[in-house]
Amino acid sequence: MSDRTINILLVVAGVILVLLAIVYWIEPAKSLPSVMPGHEAGSTHHHVKHGIAAFLLGIGAFVLAWFRTGPRHSAA
Amino acid sequence: MADPISYGQAVVLGLLQGASELFPVSSLGHSVILPQLLGWDIKQNDDFFIVFLVATHLATAIVLFCFFLSDWMKILRGLGRSLRDRDLGDDPYARLGWLLVVGTIPAGLLGLLLEHALRDLFASAQSAAFFLMLNGVMLYGAERLRRRAPVVDSSEDAVASDVRIGETVTWRNACAIGAAQALALIPGFSRSGATMGGGLLVGLSNEDAARFAFLLATPIIGAAAILKLPDLLGSAGNGVRGPALVGALCSAFTAYLSVRFLMRFFETNRLTPFAIYCVLAGAAASVWLATT
Repeated sequence: MSDRTINILLVVAGVILVLLAIVYWIEPAKSLPSVMPGHEAGSTHHHVKHGIAAFLLGIGAFVLAWFRTGPRHSAA
Repeated sequence: MADPISYGQAVVLGLLQGASELFPVSSLGHSVILPQLLGWDIKQNDDFFIVFLVATHLATAIVLFCFFLSDWMKILRGLGRSLRDRDLGDDPYARLGWLLVVGTIPAGLLGLLLEHALRDLFASAQSAAFFLMLNGVMLYGAERLRRRAPVVDSSEDAVASDVRIGETVTWRNACAIGAAQALALIPGFSRSGATMGGGLLVGLSNEDAARFAFLLATPIIGAAAILKLPDLLGSAGNGVRGPALVGALCSAFTAYLSVRFLMRFFETNRLTPFAIYCVLAGAAASVWLATT
């Protein structure tokens, strides 16, 4: 897989993870899509920690893409 | 109604928390076992006790941050410069900073996702005593299995230590050591013990492993405390804030003494005494709890 493809995938993953974080923060467990971890029928609990975890991973993907698109000798 | 934690209990638990958080002997394990041994009606999953722990953890994180303040300033500058240039360059503090980030992410994720499940599963003092013994075995095993550590001149300064850490620890090592911190979610296992042991296994000296463990502990302890700060400030903190403040001050006091002592101790000593302590204390607590 080329560097360019990996960088695009990292950015796409970052966007998806940050969006997932927002969904976790604003939607109660009962309203989450059934494929998402934390979905629970009838529950009004907000999975704040799941959101933080997704957000951190998203930021991590962005940072990795940022370094990979920097100078060629970057090691990160 | 009486306060859930008295000021006397807050002093004892605060002093214990500050020391045992940084010594590789499991603060959570001790805070589960000690109230049981003393006959106090305090359990680790009680809301008021979690609020109390938030305050003591925050105090410990602040002390750690202040103790290594000059390192953190260089690390933060290194992180900022590397982000701006999109390159780590030759700055050892940029590399050390990103090693700490890479080590913190898996610990943070595992903590966020597994904390409640593990605490509920291993909430008893008996299990904490058992895992304290295993923690001792883990510390001893790390000393036995360690690679040959570099000979370190103890008169060298902190910069040399930070540079050595950056040169020795790989990204994969940092990720594994960071993930090992999640062991501390099980009462009885020590976060600093896991990170120090991991540091030894990747070739750090005891002194450098301790420095890396304390640097790695600061963001995760601080973040965990800040995440639960609303509990302390909300209704769950009613009746606990006074003892929590006293406990936090006591915790800060012993945390400062502990980190100062441990940084000197590991210039010439090993994890073995703490391994022996954990095995003996865990065994003694197991026997005591089984017979009373």
